[in-house]
Amino acid sequence: MKVEFELNGEVKEFDVDSGEILLDLLRDEGCKSVKRGCETGDCGACMVLVDGRAMTSCTLFAAQADGKEVRTVEGLEDELAEQLKESLLEAGAVQCGFCIPGVLISAYSLLSRNEEPTKGEIKAALDGNLCRCTGYVKQIEAIKETADSIGGSSNGQK
Amino acid sequence: MLKNLKEYHYPGSLDEALSLSDRESRSFFIAGGTALALSDSSRPVELIDVSRLGLDELELDKENGKLTIGATTKIQKVVENKSVQSVLGGFLSESLEEIGSYPVRNAGTLGGSLVRPFPWSDVVPILSVLETEITYYHKGDEKTRELSKLYESDFRGTLNRSIIEGVSISLPEGLNTAAKFKKFSRSEFDVAALNLACKLSVEGNNISEARLSIGARPMIGERVTDLEDNLVGEKLTEKVAEDAAVFAADAADLGGDNKLSKEYRKQLVKKMAEEALMDIKKEVANES
Repeated sequence: MKVEFELNGEVKEFDVDSGEILLDLLRDEGCKSVKRGCETGDCGACMVLVDGRAMTSCTLFAAQADGKEVRTVEGLEDELAEQLKESLLEAGAVQCGFCIPGVLISAYSLLSRNEEPTKGEIKAALDGNLCRCTGYVKQIEAIKETADSIGGSSNGQK
Repeated sequence: MLKNLKEYHYPGSLDEALSLSDRESRSFFIAGGTALALSDSSRPVELIDVSRLGLDELELDKENGKLTIGATTKIQKVVENKSVQSVLGGFLSESLEEIGSYPVRNAGTLGGSLVRPFPWSDVVPILSVLETEITYYHKGDEKTRELSKLYESDFRGTLNRSIIEGVSISLPEGLNTAAKFKKFSRSEFDVAALNLACKLSVEGNNISEARLSIGARPMIGERVTDLEDNLVGEKLTEKVAEDAAVFAADAADLGGDNKLSKEYRKQLVKKMAEEALMDIKKEVANES
């Protein structure tokens, strides 16, 4: 069957099997930031933005993306995304790195809707991402740092 | 992976969706897809996507005291809705936020949680303690049932080849009402090993209406109606809460599974019911 959706800013048509999972399609399309982890919606390694909302692509059929806008880390190139990437690296939040694309998507989704999240809100936003290396401390710090930086620049305090 | 899946349909109307369903007995409706995408069942050969039928409206009608939520509304959208956050001191939005994780709630729909609820469903006890009616479309007719009664009957049979259109919640009017939800699970976003919702209305000093529903017993959520009847007319004191919790633990139909033993569930019900009642006592005291 044919499905059509916007992938990282480009509208494309895809020939998919009816039961094909979005994760598989995205990886076949070269979006290797979308990791194959648990495949049960628990680990968040395959997280993508669907119409701006963070979702696990292992629990969605490719057909469900028809008519929607899907973004992976490959398509995140704006100031917020760049700042997040930088903060994650600077904070030492990246160790083995497997979970990081998913963490980045969750953090981007959070900061897109909430410029000044509390620590609790950051933790809640990451509750769908499993990281076995860092214990989340550095990731939470990096997201807070990005929020302060972006918020600071938007109100002229940077 | 659904190995035998051959077709995926996007019907444009309820009638078209039902006719596709009638044509193929091994077809399944899909909205959020979170359960079906994880399934390795060999049964489904066709999926019928109902997410484009305009069933995602959410409206609070303050004049008539009704909150209506369309079946394909994402659970996280319900959680974030300002009108929903104003209902019963935030009970509905805060309780629904206990479901899964943020990405799961972004994908999962309210109707999807109701049409084939898992035994550990949080949605069933949460909505059962509210005055919730469920509307579904079956063979060309729109039908409405009280939600808690539906799940006490053969809901699978009733909802088979039906499309849930949404729920309508009657909001308590002019009463001092509060509700609480308690959940026990192995981690923040794991499914419930036990869940409990309770709502009380108080007039003067006495309870005028009570509802308490327990889910993941390990069976699907069910109201403890004997307890509800006993509570009406009582003054909500610590002693009444304590006795009611013991009664709930004895009266609830509980069982054991690989998560918890029956006895552990019984002790948890006692604890969770007492906590819920005491939380409600505090809230109604603050409101009066």
